[in-house]
Amino acid sequence: MTSNRPSLPTPGSTGSDLSSSTSSNNSDNNQIPNLHSLQNSSSQLSIKSNSWRASVNFGSKGVSVADSEGFSISRREINEDDARLVYVNDPLKTNETFEFCGNSIRTGKYSVFTFLPRNLFEQFHRVAYMYFLIIAILNQLPQLAVFGRGASILPLASVLFVTAVKDAYEDWRRHKADKIENNRLSSVLVNDQFQHKRSKDIQVGEIVKVSADETIPCDIVVLCTSDPTGVAYVQTINLDGESNLKTRYAKQETLSRVPGKDVISGLIKCEKPNRNIYGFQANMEVDGKRVSLGPSNIILRGCVIKNTDWAVGVAVYAGRETKAMLNNSGAPSKRSRLETHMNREIILLSFFLVTLCIIVSACAGFWLRRHQDELDIMPFYRRKDYSKEQVENYNYYGLGMEIFFSFLMSVIVFQIMIPISLYISMELVRVGQAYFMIRDDKMFDAASNTRFQCRALNINEDLGQIKYVFSDKTGTLTENKMEFQFASISGVDYSGEKIEFYGEQGGYNIQVDGQVWRPKMKVQVDSKLLKLSKTRNDTKSSKEIYDFFLALAACNTIVPIVVNTSNPNEKLIDYQGESPDEQALVYAAAAYGFMLIERTSGHIVIDIQGERQRFNVLGMHEFDSDRKRMSVILGYPDSTVKVFVKGADTTMFKVIDESLNLSVVKSTENHLHSYSSIGLRTLVVGMRALSIAEFDTWQTSYEIASTALMGRAGLLRKVAVNIENNLSLLGASAIEDRLQKGVPEAIESLRKAGIKVWVLTGDKQETAISIGYSSKLLTSKMMQIIINNNSKMSCKKSLEDALVTSRKLINVTRASEDDASSVALIIDGTSLVYILDSELEEQLFELASKCAVVLCCRVAPLQKAGIVALIKNRTDDMTLAIGDGANDVSMIQMADVGVGISGQEGRQAVMASDFAMGQFRFLVPLMLVHGHWNYQRMAYMILYNFYRNALFVFILFWYVLYTGFTLTTSITEWSSVLYSVIYTAIPTIVVGILDKDLSRKSLMTYPQLYGSGQRKESYNAKLFWVTMVDTLWQSVVVFFIPLLAFWESDIDSSSLGDLWTLAVVFIVNIHLAMDVIRWTWISHASIWGSIIATCICVIIIDAIPALPGYWAIFNLASSGLFWICLLGILIASMIPRFIVKMFMQHCKPCDRQIAREAEKFQNAMEITRNGEIEMNLPHR
Amino acid sequence: MDASTRTRSSSKKPKYSRFTQQELPAWKPILTPKWVITSFVTIAILFTPAGLLCLWASEHVVEIVDRYDDECLPGTFSANPESYIQSKNTNKTCVRTLKVPRKMIAPIFIYYQLDNFYQNHRRYVKSRSDKQLRDPDDADETDDCKPIDHTIGDAPIVPCGLVAWSLFNDTYKFFKGNKVIDIDKKGIAWESDKKYKFGSDVYPKNFQKGALIGGGELDESKPLSEQEDLIVWMKNSALPTFRKLYGKINTDLEANETITVVIQNNYNTYVFGGEKKVALSTANWIGGKNDFFGITFLTVGGVCFLVAINFIVLYVLKPRPLGDPTHLSWNRNQGAQ
Repeated sequence: MTSNRPSLPTPGSTGSDLSSSTSSNNSDNNQIPNLHSLQNSSSQLSIKSNSWRASVNFGSKGVSVADSEGFSISRREINEDDARLVYVNDPLKTNETFEFCGNSIRTGKYSVFTFLPRNLFEQFHRVAYMYFLIIAILNQLPQLAVFGRGASILPLASVLFVTAVKDAYEDWRRHKADKIENNRLSSVLVNDQFQHKRSKDIQVGEIVKVSADETIPCDIVVLCTSDPTGVAYVQTINLDGESNLKTRYAKQETLSRVPGKDVISGLIKCEKPNRNIYGFQANMEVDGKRVSLGPSNIILRGCVIKNTDWAVGVAVYAGRETKAMLNNSGAPSKRSRLETHMNREIILLSFFLVTLCIIVSACAGFWLRRHQDELDIMPFYRRKDYSKEQVENYNYYGLGMEIFFSFLMSVIVFQIMIPISLYISMELVRVGQAYFMIRDDKMFDAASNTRFQCRALNINEDLGQIKYVFSDKTGTLTENKMEFQFASISGVDYSGEKIEFYGEQGGYNIQVDGQVWRPKMKVQVDSKLLKLSKTRNDTKSSKEIYDFFLALAACNTIVPIVVNTSNPNEKLIDYQGESPDEQALVYAAAAYGFMLIERTSGHIVIDIQGERQRFNVLGMHEFDSDRKRMSVILGYPDSTVKVFVKGADTTMFKVIDESLNLSVVKSTENHLHSYSSIGLRTLVVGMRALSIAEFDTWQTSYEIASTALMGRAGLLRKVAVNIENNLSLLGASAIEDRLQKGVPEAIESLRKAGIKVWVLTGDKQETAISIGYSSKLLTSKMMQIIINNNSKMSCKKSLEDALVTSRKLINVTRASEDDASSVALIIDGTSLVYILDSELEEQLFELASKCAVVLCCRVAPLQKAGIVALIKNRTDDMTLAIGDGANDVSMIQMADVGVGISGQEGRQAVMASDFAMGQFRFLVPLMLVHGHWNYQRMAYMILYNFYRNALFVFILFWYVLYTGFTLTTSITEWSSVLYSVIYTAIPTIVVGILDKDLSRKSLMTYPQLYGSGQRKESYNAKLFWVTMVDTLWQSVVVFFIPLLAFWESDIDSSSLGDLWTLAVVFIVNIHLAMDVIRWTWISHASIWGSIIATCICVIIIDAIPALPGYWAIFNLASSGLFWICLLGILIASMIPRFIVKMFMQHCKPCDRQIAREAEKFQNAMEITRNGEIEMNLPHR
Repeated sequence: MDASTRTRSSSKKPKYSRFTQQELPAWKPILTPKWVITSFVTIAILFTPAGLLCLWASEHVVEIVDRYDDECLPGTFSANPESYIQSKNTNKTCVRTLKVPRKMIAPIFIYYQLDNFYQNHRRYVKSRSDKQLRDPDDADETDDCKPIDHTIGDAPIVPCGLVAWSLFNDTYKFFKGNKVIDIDKKGIAWESDKKYKFGSDVYPKNFQKGALIGGGELDESKPLSEQEDLIVWMKNSALPTFRKLYGKINTDLEANETITVVIQNNYNTYVFGGEKKVALSTANWIGGKNDFFGITFLTVGGVCFLVAINFIVLYVLKPRPLGDPTHLSWNRNQGAQ
């Protein structure tokens, strides 16, 4: 396990175990020993490098929860039925029995022909659209035909059309990308010659050659590479986003045969395509031998070959069966809190709808009953049809059916009570909000050149209601850019003055063939230590320093890569590796003159103070979470063999022979303690010389272990433990993981905003606490409650004690009017094991909710999720989890909002997150500014849409009462259809995207304003009911003023309908205008534009002679009564609302209101403050 | 590792624009007490005189309304009005005298008013064919007209449908003493209807020939565009109590004059218990007689005036400095404790 992060044991542990078990499952693992004989083989040693490499690469990935399913697939034995047979270099035979899919990919969902049916099919999966459809279908029944054909289909059609256009555009872009991808040329072996072939024509079984910096066209099993040992370096950034290089290997049996020159054939049996990108299981029959293949032998589509001239492989999975394609799944879907509440209110609205329908149908029933005898010849009913020979009832199905039809018809007429268009508006608004979040230059991280990413598009508004933030430490609060700080060598602490190198010329460099090679990253060095490391004499301290740095340079899995610079005489060495700690150590060693310049499978070359030395890597024991250390066995040029071990202090001191030098051990321990107390990450390095006999014993047992069929991981661990003992202590290193910029300020802001910040880390308690202090999470005023227990009973006791203390403390602070909550809880993973999922959870919750800060150290990934769940399940508060590593994935998925830091530790956190950004401090603008805005906007928009649609429905309803309950509408059907499509749609969307209740500056200066979202101030049941009452009032005004004005007059139905249409559109838009806080030209344009558009539409509708209301609006507009009516409606409908609003604003101003006023009048106030203070004084 | 070396492409930093940073110049109105009071006072000042003006205008409209459906029913038929109205042999003539309360200046509009007649009933509204009315070639477009679509002999009825079938057919004659007052029946329908909705080459056919007579008959020699009574009738009224224009009188009527109306009481409203009225009305900018607006406007103006006073009192008694940070909830709580 390369990820040598002793302080963070969790992320790799699963991976490492899985890797070993995978390889041990290869029952037919008949590897030949002596894969790579050592060139300078004075001692004729041989090692089996392949096996450790396999585990290096495979095990190093943390495995996210989502992948576990895939794992179980790849862990299974390949049985004959399930296997895919690939005949190497024989695509015809390969595809003979089973037609494997070709390499052309289609991420596009639709083709020209399938677009319509498939897209429609997918769209109708949404409940909202089904509602539309059912209503439209109902309307087509002749008995229920309320609207004309066109008008009834239009709303559905327009929604379908908009969505289809959106889908089509997205699909078109995918098709374009597919086309480029499919037509990329790659080199394929045809008739023993490599020829260019378009990517989409590659077939399974064909042999593909890939050159450096080329993208792999399909999943290939490596046969041979330009490297004689069969190594190929690949970058998997397209696949998992990790930019470091990984190694892949060709099998010994195939690497010597260069396709094109030698005939190559064989049969690969591999598992069925699956989506696990970290697993692959297969075997290959070459020359009658069976060789097992693992994940280190396959290069996946989308990877890029680096530092390898070429690699040749056989295609095993192509096209959509490649692992990259199988992993192409969308972002996780969550539903926002606001939307959940909204759905509750929508159920209420549907009750309203049903009530209205019941009233109408019941009244219709009564009416028909009362006029029973008159119906036959009543001029406006005429039940009897005399036109036939036989007099019969016309269009009358009996009282019961008529009532039933009335009910259905009223559902059709009142359908927009359920604001279906709201769902579409919300989607559009969220896209708009996401656009502004992505474009916010305050959330752009220049260091990593990453923008803010909105991966989930449906929880924008949740960002405004967060109560708890759960943060990872490493890489989230800190930069995860490890920097070597101090060293303690043989009990001597080197933490003195630092020399910093600036400019091009500084730092250590070496001359190679007239060129200057220098490490890519500069490290501050300790001047004294630098001097000591340069002097080479045989003093004991000099030797120890030599060994220490040699250990740092050698005991790792870092691959040095020489990078060209603009200056031809200068090259940089870039250390690529998966662990930032190791990188920091190697860079540090290089700065002190121990520069690692070459690593191959069998040896490493280290330039020691200008002198190139070659060491054979005889063996390596990977890092694993049990041992928490790794070791490497080095063969010196002079044939001596030494084992170097580095690891976490806890496990290292167990294997160090203290008898050798007790005082050194003691002082090193002291140094370690002081390092970790200032937040540094520490590692201890040890060494032991091996005798020939010892080495031989080790080698034999290592061979046995690594060829074992069962329990290989355990055996290897045992071998490692056997050799990693009786070490002499070389020293300890301290690496700083610096806090990210702005973290203390960000935490301060979040705390002020009433958000509780909890830190969940895998780090040591001391490190966690010290980071807590430096990030201002903890202050010296706080009382710390620390819980470290090893049993359930003791956990219970300390929880109870802590509860008592915290209660006392809170009472005391309340009495003394001090900072109300100043208790910090620090708890470790071991205690959590006993607490989580037991009855103690409740106590922990109670305690934690009393604490201002909770720090959890040494927690495993699943425990992180458990803690999030602890809060999520017990409170109604919203949670946000932020993290950067694979170990945070479960927490990110568990929390209501998951934020990923796109940082150093790969991208699994980002892949699982809802939002991703470059820096922790962006959380402040994200939540306090954008979250606040989004919440206010969305909350307002939902209420407004309820109001808007209900108002219209109420007006229709009132009219129905005056039509004999027959569901006639005087508003033309086109206007009622266009009402939510054109008349009133745009302004609410514009306001939902653009309106800002407060400026960014105020929100940042007063983080407390965030509380309005936490308290659900903008959307709650009370507001809903108030809105509904207001709606009812407005509908009464809009309906009854014209009704009374035109009672006993000769007004025709269409004219009155036009009046109602205009009145309702005007007041709906003016209502919105009264609530707009920030009038940009866009808001002006949309609101006034909508009113004008409505007028134009009404005029157009009334200019069509075929419609009943022909010319109505022109006749109407020429009468004075119409204008008086409109004015009266506008004023009378708005007055109650205006009075209440102004009254509340003055007497019970909310914080937002005051801040808004301050924003506007602050400047004026500041200018006149001096003069006004005296004037104000007498008032108070 | 470093993104900048890996991707040589330029920085992904979002381009700054006031739009993307949501910093577009904006007007941020805040309703200060001054504004609140001003707006209420303005409404009060505007609406009170407007209300008075409406009342005054309405007051100047002279209107005479006379209900005659019950008065014109001979006493012998009061138990069975339908047999009276359906019979062809009963005398339908009815004489009413009206007194002009104030001087009525021409034009004086004559309306008939029906009560409880649901011209907006769904069955009724739909039972018509606008196509047929417009174009003689579309005479067969009678699908929507049921049950008045075809004669028993399957010939299309023009105009078809319940609306046309139920054409109002009471007639009025006005006399001043013995002198006939001329009624101008031209120009009572909308010009737009005459031009575009009712064809000048469409003639009534098979109209009112069914077993059940719904109302008036039409002159088959006159095109529909000239049948203004039909056009007026077919403009569906919005509410169950409505008036329709019957004609205009182009001479002034003096105050206290007595005029006689001779009514042919043909139209059957007895079947659904509707009322029939005849109305004479002058008109000005407010339309007919309508006190409703005056009252509404006065009420709104009065309410706004009261509210304005209340707000003034509120602002004086309980002033709150705008944007005072000490009123923020977190500052307030601190102060309170």
